[in-house]
Amino acid sequence: MPPIDSADQELLEGFLAETMELLDKLDEDLVALEKASDDAELLNRIFRSIHTIKGASSFLGFDLLVKVAHTTEDVLNRLRKLELTLTPEIMDAVLEATDLVKLLVSDIKAGDIQERETGDTISRLLPFLTETDSTPRKEPSTQPQQSAPIPVTAPLSPQPPDAMMVALAQPSSEGIPRSVTPHPKVLEGRGEELYDNTTVRVDVTRLDDLLDQVGELVLERNRMIQLNQDLSQGDINQAGFQDEFGKLTKRISFVTSELQMQVLKMRMIPVEKVFRKFPRIVRNVARDLAKEVDLRIMGEETELDRSIIDEIGDPLIHLIRNALDHGLETPQERLDAGKQPAGSLILSAGHEGNHIVISIKDDGRGIDCDRVGRKAVEKGLLTDDQLASMSQNEILDLILLPGFSTKEKVSDLSGRGVGMDVVKTNIKKLNGIIEIRSERGQGSEFLLRLPLTLAIIQSLVVEVGREVYLVPLTSVLETFRVEPRSFHQIGGQEVLKMRDSVLPLIRMQRVFSIEQEGKAEEFCYVVVVGAADKRIGLVVNRLIGQQEVAIKSLGPYLTDVPGIAGSTILGDGRVALIVDPAGMAARND
Amino acid sequence: MFNVPAVHKSGESHHEQVKLVSFTLDQEEFCVDVLKVREIIHVPLVTRVPNTPPHLEGVINLRGKVIPVISLRKKFGLQNVEKDKQTRIMVMEMGSELMGFIVDAVSEVIRVSTDEIQPSPAKMSGDIDQECIAGVINQSDRLLVLLNLEMMLDHDERKILIGM
Repeated sequence: MPPIDSADQELLEGFLAETMELLDKLDEDLVALEKASDDAELLNRIFRSIHTIKGASSFLGFDLLVKVAHTTEDVLNRLRKLELTLTPEIMDAVLEATDLVKLLVSDIKAGDIQERETGDTISRLLPFLTETDSTPRKEPSTQPQQSAPIPVTAPLSPQPPDAMMVALAQPSSEGIPRSVTPHPKVLEGRGEELYDNTTVRVDVTRLDDLLDQVGELVLERNRMIQLNQDLSQGDINQAGFQDEFGKLTKRISFVTSELQMQVLKMRMIPVEKVFRKFPRIVRNVARDLAKEVDLRIMGEETELDRSIIDEIGDPLIHLIRNALDHGLETPQERLDAGKQPAGSLILSAGHEGNHIVISIKDDGRGIDCDRVGRKAVEKGLLTDDQLASMSQNEILDLILLPGFSTKEKVSDLSGRGVGMDVVKTNIKKLNGIIEIRSERGQGSEFLLRLPLTLAIIQSLVVEVGREVYLVPLTSVLETFRVEPRSFHQIGGQEVLKMRDSVLPLIRMQRVFSIEQEGKAEEFCYVVVVGAADKRIGLVVNRLIGQQEVAIKSLGPYLTDVPGIAGSTILGDGRVALIVDPAGMAARND
Repeated sequence: MFNVPAVHKSGESHHEQVKLVSFTLDQEEFCVDVLKVREIIHVPLVTRVPNTPPHLEGVINLRGKVIPVISLRKKFGLQNVEKDKQTRIMVMEMGSELMGFIVDAVSEVIRVSTDEIQPSPAKMSGDIDQECIAGVINQSDRLLVLLNLEMMLDHDERKILIGM
């Protein structure tokens, strides 16, 4: 690529920003279009988006992009002029073209324009430019799918207005070669990376509020200067100064807290940004699996810190795929079980105190605890005795272990036993917790509990020996004072007997190689932390208190110190280390 | 940017001058490129970081930034001593990050021409990693060992992080 000068660079960046935004919306619109194919406004909007992309690409000389966009635009044009009726096949082709456009744009963004294979996608679209209305199946040359004697359900059945129904294409498709050329899934991977993570949109009102607070801060600073001057000039006595200073401290604390909250808020993005790509994914996966799904999304306006948004997408996709693959039954199975043929999948997000809770709930077949237990014993992860003493919740948690899968056949989507483990790792990275609820025959629910923000945390200040450490409060389940005498040993692991379970213990002093201070105390404190699905108890000497701190990274050379998540600077200027509960739990394994 | 020049053969003559900061460790004198030194500070409270190599003393608060601090004595296998009034931390730029190095004392900034930099003899006192030694400067009254501390990092630090 020829070197770009700064004017061109600006043009390019503008093009990328605008195009990516359009593409983002396009996905959502296209899936919506499928259920409302006569929505002229929607169709026009989609057409205009592609048209804009084509124009901009042409202006900047991105020929491949122009070709693909142009053909797609033509098909859309026919659709909106009612020369063509939307069918799932047309939608597939258009979606594939959109994915290709995304891929090409991401190439441009990466500065690495490749000669992508566009011919296939374009040729899938071409037939729709020439044929006249009605069912495309009449012409075998356009659709590789042979017209075997299978009743084709009408592409769009009447939809209930309050749900997104994904219609079923064909009931039993094993015999038919599904010739879907470069399957959208392959391109999907790249397309999903197309978020613009380097900029953020901020509500102007938020900026105004911020400005107000900064104004307040300036006023307080002026008062501080005045106060200092008064003191040094002897215009105020000690008592007066103390009084004024005390008030000033309170006001500055307040203003600073407000500022902090507001800036943090600017980092928050509605979870909708992640959720919006799911209708498309659900549609694709459901079609592949020949299942009917009724997807409902709630609470998408719930806001999350953007660092969490970045990380949460993959685990959610995996959980959704699992729900569709393992959880939901085929329409026939469901009818046999007395359920509606379309399975329900509810994705919701909400705030709970200092956490955000994301739930994926399906009304499928639920998790078979017996099978899970047996599989675990088979794989040597448990003994029969251990299994016998496990509660249902503990058995459910087994599916989060690496290598675990009760699926007999490994499908392309899931069943390799890799996925749930990855989900768990990702959630742990975010200092979150996974909870699984399930009932045989009724369905399952996966709950993800994540802290609201990663940048500033409430922490529990503890003392170990002479050193001070901070434990993120979001991970702390409870604390109590115990006598070390009451610890037991089970197989070399120190544990504490709790009400209805046994808590593995970690002596922070040992793990962090801290010198013993004086003689051993008669009592100590145990901080029970939860990380993903585990619970462990951290043994410390003293609980000092609670503090809200801003997390500072330890820098690239120290990011991987086991057990340490980061650092912060205390009020007295000292650096204090923040414990990583998930890491400590892992180390204990 | 001053790349420690490849030690040149005699016969070539460079008349480039470079500025170096000299410091002492266990009676020996060392020096580094002044352009890499951000600042030189007294030793503040160092917070120990568990599960790190012994020569990583810990981290400090540098005006709101948390940076790691390495004891060069420990790193080079020299005997460890108590800090005294002359002990300093040299805050240096390591790639894009800052890192502090504890030294016994910082002497001065000297100007040498590149011809004065000679290749180092095979082994020196202590256990100095050979990669760090960029050369020696033989002046009439003293011998200075020129260090390139970034080399030390490439070799060692990444290893720490992975194999723990």
